[in-house]
Amino acid sequence: MSENEPRIVGFLCNWCGYAGADLAGTSRLSYPTNIRIIRVMCSGRVEPAFILNAFENGADGVLVAGCHPGDCHYRSGNQHAEKRIEKTKKVLDLLGIGSDRLRLEWISAAEGEKFASVIKDFTEKLRGKGPSPLRKGVEAATVQHNAIESIHDILKRTKALYCQECGKCSSSCPITRLDPSYSPRLAVEKALLGLEDAVLTDKGLWSCLTCYLCRQRCPLDIEYDELIRTCRAKSVVKGITGNCAHEGVLLSLSRLMAREETIQNRLYWVPQEVEIAKTGEVLYFVGCLPYFNVVFDDIGVENIEIAQSMLRVLNAAGIKPVLLENERCCGHDLSFSGDLGSFEKLAKMNLTAIKKSGVSKVVTTCPECYRTLKLDYAEYFGKPKFEVLHASEFLTDLIAYGKIKFNGRIDKKVSYQDPCRLGRHMGVYDPPRKVITSIPGVELVEMERNREDALCCGVSAWMNCSRHSKQMQIERLTEAKGTTADLLVTACPKCQIHLNCTMSEKLPVKKEDVAIETCDLSVLVARAMNLTPNSVEMTKK
Amino acid sequence: MSEKPSVLVIGGGIAGIQASLDLGGRGFQVYLLEETPTIGGRMAQLDKTFPTMDCSICILAPKMMECYRHPNIKLLTYCELKEIKGSVGNFQVKILQKPRYVNETKCTGCGACAEHCPIEVPNEFDMGLGMRKAIYMPMPQAVPRCMTVDKENCIDCKLCIKMCRAGAVDFQQEPRDIDLNVSAIIIATGFNQYDPSEILEYGYKRHRNILTALEFERWVCASGPVGGHLVRPADGGIPKKIAFIQCVGSRGLKFGTPFCSSVCCMYATKEALIIREHAPEVQVYIFYNELRAFGKGFQEFVNRARDEWGVKYVRSRPGEIREDPNTRSLTIWYDDTLTREIKSLSDVDLVVLCPALIPRESNKKLAEIIGIELDDCGFFKVTHPLLAPVDSTIQGIYVCGYCQSPKDIPDSVTQASAAAARAAETLALAQIQRVGGS
Repeated sequence: MSENEPRIVGFLCNWCGYAGADLAGTSRLSYPTNIRIIRVMCSGRVEPAFILNAFENGADGVLVAGCHPGDCHYRSGNQHAEKRIEKTKKVLDLLGIGSDRLRLEWISAAEGEKFASVIKDFTEKLRGKGPSPLRKGVEAATVQHNAIESIHDILKRTKALYCQECGKCSSSCPITRLDPSYSPRLAVEKALLGLEDAVLTDKGLWSCLTCYLCRQRCPLDIEYDELIRTCRAKSVVKGITGNCAHEGVLLSLSRLMAREETIQNRLYWVPQEVEIAKTGEVLYFVGCLPYFNVVFDDIGVENIEIAQSMLRVLNAAGIKPVLLENERCCGHDLSFSGDLGSFEKLAKMNLTAIKKSGVSKVVTTCPECYRTLKLDYAEYFGKPKFEVLHASEFLTDLIAYGKIKFNGRIDKKVSYQDPCRLGRHMGVYDPPRKVITSIPGVELVEMERNREDALCCGVSAWMNCSRHSKQMQIERLTEAKGTTADLLVTACPKCQIHLNCTMSEKLPVKKEDVAIETCDLSVLVARAMNLTPNSVEMTKK
Repeated sequence: MSEKPSVLVIGGGIAGIQASLDLGGRGFQVYLLEETPTIGGRMAQLDKTFPTMDCSICILAPKMMECYRHPNIKLLTYCELKEIKGSVGNFQVKILQKPRYVNETKCTGCGACAEHCPIEVPNEFDMGLGMRKAIYMPMPQAVPRCMTVDKENCIDCKLCIKMCRAGAVDFQQEPRDIDLNVSAIIIATGFNQYDPSEILEYGYKRHRNILTALEFERWVCASGPVGGHLVRPADGGIPKKIAFIQCVGSRGLKFGTPFCSSVCCMYATKEALIIREHAPEVQVYIFYNELRAFGKGFQEFVNRARDEWGVKYVRSRPGEIREDPNTRSLTIWYDDTLTREIKSLSDVDLVVLCPALIPRESNKKLAEIIGIELDDCGFFKVTHPLLAPVDSTIQGIYVCGYCQSPKDIPDSVTQASAAAARAAETLALAQIQRVGGS
């Protein structure tokens, strides 16, 4: 097959699609040889991550074939597949790959001819479209970052050599309480004993939430989060990776954004009445919200509302924010899941784009972007010329300067979830509280564990969403309910996603003990300013 | 200048007292400066001492009285050091004596004034746990035995003047300047307690059933705020479970101090024994990091506490203490590092935090006045840590007690005698020069 021929990856269901392909073969029907077939038990098994992975590795098209509606051998697997493919198509559009490179077909075991004609048609269409933009960079993308720092150097840099083995970290760790096989102390001790393999192959390395609670409490100020982050990078070099939530689709997205060839189409959500600019003073770094909005459309969170609210609030305060047309993931999740190579690429591209826009302030609504832009970019590439502010800080300033007028009232009891990255990582505790309490009618009630002691939402860097995460989320939601608050405000889109995900699931506790309305800080502000229209109009560009 | 050579001792704790007695006994004139109304210092606050379980004030009070009665020792209590000039053999010292508003020679310390004083404020001597009046004596064994009016809290009702049969209360008193000329100086300013409230996970000052070690000393002391009854601070209930937490703020790089306070393991053991003596049914836990029982008879003392008195030692620095809002009982989360198990100890009635003991903040001001150096931690520097352990960085000025380095009572007393001996050399030289010159 020549280089320019389209390459198709086909995920065929065992009972229908694959049997159809089989029939095509035994019937000696000819069809293009551009497809590579992977047999799955059900089309419902095909995760969006599988499809993105195929594109990451240079596929020009992906075909998913399952049983006709009503014929699924597992009753509803194909319906599930339909929803997922719908979602994945949207993601492909966002990524600029194009939804027409993905096809879902219902092919029964008796439809050999249909199979052949689908392949023929799909191949033709792809020939017409030309190769996938991502085909070029496959080789370069697979070059691994050489995490050369030795374990001893890591221990020295993170101050782990001072460890007194006092156990303060392990008795603070929310994960260790649920799963004693992992503990920050054990990780450090193993490393101190020089058991490099034991450290790098330890499953526990991937259980850590890097929630910073142990570091917060460690009397020796050992930088566990950094220790874990760098050890993960070393572990990845060894070919070990952790368990990713949603089969790693979100990390896949980040990796795809790290490819120079990727030209996204990510501003579809900007409301028509909102004014944005190409250059100016203030840049709003949206983060992965447009993607989250698609991926998590089924857990009752409208993620993009966060970004839309932020834009409306900024406009109302007289600011025309700059948005980057091809903004990339900040790289936080890749940096914390051991893919330092892609992280560095993302950082470089974002820094170049921000520099080009000439802004002096970058505002984020996501604490992970905030940490990464402010701390990690500076660490890797030197102090940037722009100032990085979390929305809560920027809004506090705007309120203080009288730029924000609350026309509305929110007569609610509100509790606040401190995001780990915003609170313990960056020490921003007061600004979100100031914003909340400045809204007329709002009464802030604190959870038992707040500020430095706050409990993490249970998942970080899209790794290890486990039963322990669920347990932590239930615990946290119960605590929030215990404050008698009507509304739980978060300043991190991910906290909101994780907590809502738990609420949308079957739980071992009563629904009413955990169900609480959640809301992002910027959405709350927009509501209090009467800026949110009842129906959010999505204008597709 | 026909008087005998004199020395100024700064700090009226056990080290200052010992140094004063040593030098007074050698025939030198001693001025013992103390900023509070009474000498005695930290040792006077303790209930008992380790490893002998002596009643602390019982062995200290005779020494305090000896100082008071000593013909060669002049007590300068309730005084502030203002200025030091000059050099070895000839230091000019300016001291400000704050007015007590009570005539020291007339006051008998009967306490009738305090009985009628309408103002109550937290007593510093009881670590703020008990109350005192605006006219007060910090403790029953105060030396000098004289009342003091706390003008900041006094409402000028003058009831005390009416009640005093000795006519000792005198609101006309003014601050008095005292100028001294001394040949040598000994510094013995002792320690302060690190405030553990910045270690948020332990909830000190948020949870009512948490005390610091010094607070606990007063709490269980018979002359303390609750008369030595072992009760829960929150509600006066009878405790069943008490836990001590070591190294709160000490041996850290983030909060508190990097050094080991050197006495906590032992005083916690002592306090545990006090509890078991008071109420044998109470379970006592000591959460330690490394058990530093390094002195004579110390390990035996710990062994006895463990084996004979059933004190439970757990090797761990607990991660957090949480309070049950209804019962105010506490739950301690810890990693039993010897068995690697994450556990929680619930229904704890009282947690005693053993905070880092830190050199006094006022050492900085003192060092500035005198011109001597402090080390990074705020202790007074000595010219050689091994071979000149009491010589400050200025000739003729000596340091002893906790203000030089962490140490316990016997070591403080030893060092005080050492400092006195070194000062005596200087003083003797001054005497020879005077005799020769006159």
